[in-house]
Amino acid sequence: MQALTKALGEVAKVVLGKEDQLKLALTCLMANGHLLIEDLPGMGKTTLAHALARVFQLEYRRVQFTSDMLPADILGVSVFNPNTQDFTLREGPVFTQLLLADEINRATPKTQGALLEAMEERQVTLDGVTRPLPRPFFVVATQNPSDQAGTFVLPESQLDRFLMRISLGYPAPEVELALLAGGDLREQARSLKPVISSDGLVKLSGMVDKVRASHELLDYVQRLMDATRTDDRFVAGLSPRAGLGLLKAARAWALISGRDYAVPEDIQAVWAAVAEHRLSARQGGSVSAMTQSLLQSVPVVRR
Amino acid sequence: MRVYQVPTHTRLWLVITIIACSLPQLLRGHLWQAGLVVLVMVIRSLADRQRIQLPGKAIRGLLMVGVVGITWITFGRIYGPEAGVALLVSLFSLKYLEVVRQRDAYVVIVLGYFVCATALLFERGPGMFAYVLLCMLLLTTCLIGINHSDTGARPMGHVRRAVAMSLQAVPVMLVLFVLVPRVAPLWNMKIDSGQARTGMSDSMSPGEISELSQSSELAFRVAFDGAIPEKGERYWRGLTLSHFDGRTWQQAIPRGVDKQAYLFQKGGPEPEWHKSLMAQDRGSGYRYQVIMEPTQRTWLFAMKVPVLEQGEAGLARDMRLVASRPISESVGYTVTSYPNLSSAIGLERSDRALMLSLPEDQNVGRRARGLAQQWQLDSSTDADVVKQALRHFREKPFYYTLKPPPLPVDPIDEFLFVTRRGFCEHYASSFTFMMRAAGIPARVVVGYQGGEPNELGSHLLVRQYDAHAWSEVWLEGKGWVRVDPTGAVAPERIEDGLRAALSGNGEDSNVLEGLRSFASSGLLGKLQQWTDYVDFQWQTWVLGYNSQSQMQLLRQLLGSTSPLSIALALFGAITLLLGLYMLVLLRQDRGYRQTPMEREFWRLHQRVAERQGAPLDPGLTPQQLANTIAARWPGAAKPAREWALQYQQALYNPAVLADKRRIRHLRRLRNRLYKLLG
Repeated sequence: MQALTKALGEVAKVVLGKEDQLKLALTCLMANGHLLIEDLPGMGKTTLAHALARVFQLEYRRVQFTSDMLPADILGVSVFNPNTQDFTLREGPVFTQLLLADEINRATPKTQGALLEAMEERQVTLDGVTRPLPRPFFVVATQNPSDQAGTFVLPESQLDRFLMRISLGYPAPEVELALLAGGDLREQARSLKPVISSDGLVKLSGMVDKVRASHELLDYVQRLMDATRTDDRFVAGLSPRAGLGLLKAARAWALISGRDYAVPEDIQAVWAAVAEHRLSARQGGSVSAMTQSLLQSVPVVRR
Repeated sequence: MRVYQVPTHTRLWLVITIIACSLPQLLRGHLWQAGLVVLVMVIRSLADRQRIQLPGKAIRGLLMVGVVGITWITFGRIYGPEAGVALLVSLFSLKYLEVVRQRDAYVVIVLGYFVCATALLFERGPGMFAYVLLCMLLLTTCLIGINHSDTGARPMGHVRRAVAMSLQAVPVMLVLFVLVPRVAPLWNMKIDSGQARTGMSDSMSPGEISELSQSSELAFRVAFDGAIPEKGERYWRGLTLSHFDGRTWQQAIPRGVDKQAYLFQKGGPEPEWHKSLMAQDRGSGYRYQVIMEPTQRTWLFAMKVPVLEQGEAGLARDMRLVASRPISESVGYTVTSYPNLSSAIGLERSDRALMLSLPEDQNVGRRARGLAQQWQLDSSTDADVVKQALRHFREKPFYYTLKPPPLPVDPIDEFLFVTRRGFCEHYASSFTFMMRAAGIPARVVVGYQGGEPNELGSHLLVRQYDAHAWSEVWLEGKGWVRVDPTGAVAPERIEDGLRAALSGNGEDSNVLEGLRSFASSGLLGKLQQWTDYVDFQWQTWVLGYNSQSQMQLLRQLLGSTSPLSIALALFGAITLLLGLYMLVLLRQDRGYRQTPMEREFWRLHQRVAERQGAPLDPGLTPQQLANTIAARWPGAAKPAREWALQYQQALYNPAVLADKRRIRHLRRLRNRLYKLLG
């Protein structure tokens, strides 16, 4: 638990003033989930991914998605080797522990689909040969919300593959001052001290599953799920996968908070990050506000 | 080692239940039965502790043959209610030796339902009924118990469930009780209830009634529809005695009178005297229901002149009710008595001869005959003779006592002229004798006089000590007129009852004490009145619900008593009940009950919302609720946080039990918060 706090502290050195988002990102990793960061360019998305990879000693690769990208550019390709008269697989960038998929919405659906399939299955099938991806395997994808020209919006079914979506947002004034005074943070990210090994992270993930959730808590989660389904402001309610993800994320949050059992606060803490990107409003309006309002109206304790 | 498939926790219940079901029989029956049950229980408990083997087939067979043999020896047979039940109960307890598998336990339990019901063959009071219900509850508990394995079994929970199941069965029971057609038993079981009942005999000789008068046993109860007549008017006639042999008065029918014509049965041929009786103007009457204790006799008790409204009995020509068969169990009948209805239905020659007959031997009551003839000469009318006789009893030193001196030779003369101490039978007997001697037709009537009201039920209790004898004389133009010579000697007997008449008379105080009906005052008296009240209501409404009253009720309820309408009503009522249960079940299934922990949260939630005057989000976590309190009432911050912590722990930390202690603790904290919130 101390290691976790220390890891958080390390990452906070380069992503300034964003403790909550950092904690969520960490939670996401511990819950074995993929993370979608939605932000304008230059907000520190890449720095965050870098820092996480560094602190957890993860093998790290970055892919800049573009519209002319093909699945092979990510997954890899079979190349004919004239010496052996055989095809050998050249692994693509996906064969890593932490993949930063920058501007994922710029790629064509075909390419997006290839990546998302790899994310879900944690394996890649090329030319009929299935190859497992390394463990742990995380995708941190980013997308630019304002620039919609020439992008392919991720469909909801694929958004569901991301456990969480967070956005970092502009830094607070004093943080920005410190930022300006401090110099290149991405450089600093490279020099962060590793805190937990990647094996340690796998072990932590195992501990997440042991965090206990009482019947009453499961009941609360179910009520929240139900509320998204009966609320006609949403096009569709949350999927059971979302419910499982919510619970897992809450467990991870509880573990980071130093508890071996989850409480409703854990659910509420991860709720927005887990639920918002999976929901869409029927008649416009802020999905974020609607999602948040459910926390107010759904009773925590059954009445 | 044997594998016991009957769960351990049920075994004690089974033992208790077997003993409970057999208990009424054990208390009533012979000692060997109790011995057998004890023996079975000892063997079984030793076997359960692995001290001995359970007896094998041979020993069990021997035991069974032995039981049948002993039953045969004790009762002389192995069938019939007494012997049959004794055998059944013994075999029932023997069966427990065989219980190994669950199936065996089922057999014992189902048999138990039957065994405990046999107790009702012998005793049908509300107490026994309650006891049988208790046995059924125990049996149901066992039935639930054998279906639960030992892990996590909670016997008290089984009891609760058994109670709930039984309560659910009560409405069905009531429907079946009311609607299932009552049929007369196919055979009449003669059950000797074990104790010889005291009561009237069909003859009267000196000392007989005074002996009866020392018992405070119940004779019958009467519930009046309207006003209760004055105590002095409450003469419950049972028998008229017309033949006297010098010592004993006996029932007799006038020579030459057809027995058929003497007794009018409803539905039978109507004799002339009944026609003329019914033709009279009746005047107003008293309507009442009599619930009689078993007497093993056929005569019923009623005031004069009884017209039967409900029940099975006929009216005899001497104006008394006669049942069609001996009263072997409590029986009820409804009567209207018309005191003004004259029984002047004519005195035929044969009647007159019987009512004037005296012992042939002129020496029997010689002085009494002389005195009576003297009065006859002195008086102009028969009524004057009666007056003279009563005056004689009043003015000469006669005493009313329960312990009259013996009258060995000539009871009439010895009593009238020597001892002059006697009980009602002496007065009635000698008065009737003298009336006959004076040429006035007269007869002795035995029955009961008086009766004590129960304040609770406004019904009357007539006990054996209310037994009484008096006379009726035939006066030309008036018919049979009641004359009670005892009233001339001891008017208190008629007005205030036997106890009042005897006290201050130098009677044995023990005897007097025995004549108390209800303890005169205090808790005990109240309790006795209540017991009597419950018993009476039970007799009236439950035991008194026979095929006749059933048909009457059904006619009122359904408008018809055809088998089809009864079947429809039965089917409909039970379907309705089952439908209701189903509805309740469905509702329960859909809804849920708030747990104490959930209630705990919402109570505080509601209180905070009330106190701050604004609604609170339902989506508050316990911690957030505490924070809300802390923000508004800083003084309450500490207990609020403590409450939230405890609450969160109890509800969400599986390592912490949300037991009663914790809930109490939370409630205490909440109450403290209430005070701080103002």
